[in-house]
Amino acid sequence: MTAAPTLPAAPAGRPDHPHRPPRQLRWLLRLHRPAVLVWTAFVLVTGAALLWLGGPLTDASAAAWKEYNACAFAERCSYDQDAIVRYKDVYSYTTIALLAAPFLVAAWAGGSLTGRETESGTARLAWTQGVTPARWLAARLALPAVLVAVSTGLLVHLHRLAWTAGEGRIDTAKPWYDFATFYANGTVPVALALAGLCAGALEGLLLRRSLAALTTATVVLGGLWATVHTALPHLWPTVTRVSSLRNGPSGTGITTGEGVLTADGDRLTAPCSSGMIPGCRTELADLGAVNFYRDVHPVAHYWPLQLTASGVLLAVAALLVLAAFRVLRLRTAGPAGKGGPA
Amino acid sequence: MSTTAPARLPRTVLRLHRTALIVWSAFVAGLIGWLVWLNEITVDAVRAAEAECSRALWGCVDIIEHLDYSGPTGYIGTLTCYGFLAVAAFTGGALIGRELESGTARLAWTQGVTPARWLAAKLIVPALVLTAGCAALVLAFRRGWAANRDLMGDHWAFADVFVARGPATVAYALCALAVGTLTALLLRRALPALAVSVATMGLLNVVLERCRARLWPAETRTAPKPFELPDDAWRLEWGRTGTGHYATYHPASHFWPLHLVETGIVLAVAALATAAAFAVLRRRTA
Repeated sequence: MTAAPTLPAAPAGRPDHPHRPPRQLRWLLRLHRPAVLVWTAFVLVTGAALLWLGGPLTDASAAAWKEYNACAFAERCSYDQDAIVRYKDVYSYTTIALLAAPFLVAAWAGGSLTGRETESGTARLAWTQGVTPARWLAARLALPAVLVAVSTGLLVHLHRLAWTAGEGRIDTAKPWYDFATFYANGTVPVALALAGLCAGALEGLLLRRSLAALTTATVVLGGLWATVHTALPHLWPTVTRVSSLRNGPSGTGITTGEGVLTADGDRLTAPCSSGMIPGCRTELADLGAVNFYRDVHPVAHYWPLQLTASGVLLAVAALLVLAAFRVLRLRTAGPAGKGGPA
Repeated sequence: MSTTAPARLPRTVLRLHRTALIVWSAFVAGLIGWLVWLNEITVDAVRAAEAECSRALWGCVDIIEHLDYSGPTGYIGTLTCYGFLAVAAFTGGALIGRELESGTARLAWTQGVTPARWLAAKLIVPALVLTAGCAALVLAFRRGWAANRDLMGDHWAFADVFVARGPATVAYALCALAVGTLTALLLRRALPALAVSVATMGLLNVVLERCRARLWPAETRTAPKPFELPDDAWRLEWGRTGTGHYATYHPASHFWPLHLVETGIVLAVAALATAAAFAVLRRRTA
């Protein structure tokens, strides 16, 4: 049974044999069965926790907040404090799990998917069994990519549903621009997971050592995310909110800058933040300030920012895939490869 | 041969894992250097901004520059606290798991090194390095954390600050070393051992974090009128009873009892895991 994928493949010779691609995939699934099981368990547990969070936990917490707000400063007051705390705990645990998922993918891809096989030499063995290196790598990227994209997409969707259920009902619910919530509600984790997969596959081929590739892939993904996080506010033009000197700067969202505007339209750093305070008023007058301004991304920019960041990450992932195929071709072109196409 | 082998063994361990040693040293030195930078350079800029705004008539409420100081200090605490996860990954994957998987451990055992001595060297050398590194990190973090309390918005009871300010950091690192060793000996494969030891240590930490407040009896205060607890108290539960108001809390003086009990538990787990690892090894090689 175990020899079945290789035996009929050998005489077939040409890679476009109809039986091989599905067999490659089945083989891949079999080889990584523990990882598939662990990942399935992870997705099921996190998904179930998110459903629990969006349903009963949100309702209980919202009811507790209602009771709490109803008692105002009344002498006798009882509300379900545990429900509020439980919602917060499960929310932060599920959000952390969701944001950690791309790192799990990167570590697995580096350590197990390509790194282990290039280290132990089973990759070379596979390439002698009628599977071309390119096809071998393509199978190793395509099937995990589909599984990872679908499962992280599902988790992100459930997270968004759970977060939306609590919007406006739970006083301490995270705002949309909260760093962790911003990412966990959108498409960025899916793109990060795919980039992690590609980074891991490339590192495994480059380093040909399982543990080194695991570590490097995780660090590379961390660096990639940090870069995207730093660049994120500049991926879409901001909106400038202008407010009167009396009120101080206004506008909530992802802020990129604020200060005062002069009559000529110059932007200056604000020395203080409210014209209601006498000292501040004179100082603003000395500067010739007429308004406060704040550059923000309002909630309407959520999807443009998410999709641009995801697009950038997917482009990086595509480059990593190209690099992986290139490395593979250079590696396998050694003894006999170059003569082929010429 | 048998006379030189024990002396060479620690050097072999250090040489084999020099990459890990370099990364660990860089991590420790980097975090300490960052703390020094924050408390020597950044803090001056923050104080200058503070002085600038307090010169004006209206005074300062919150200065954005505080974040330049408090944010990184918080990150350093988080990294110091959760560094043990990397230790678990290294031990399960590289230190023990890899050698058992590839068979180099068996080779070593034929070269005049008994399995028990091999494992002892594999544990003692990293344990010393980890203890030294963690102790340096904890001492530095304690000083950095306490130096400018008015700029910080955190609390001693925060999960990561709680661990990073005392010997529990060392205990978690040693426990990760022991647990990683045990899982690697049980699974004898690098990657599964890596994953399982990280998951086990993460779970142990989450469980202890959730039980933390119960590791030492909390104090209860009741009063007929509403009252405020001091800012440095760790408030656990509060509300109204039939006759008045109550609150259970840990005063700041409970930090050390709480911390030492948790350290003791983690060290006990480490000792058990080490004993189990030697037992597994003896059974395997008998």
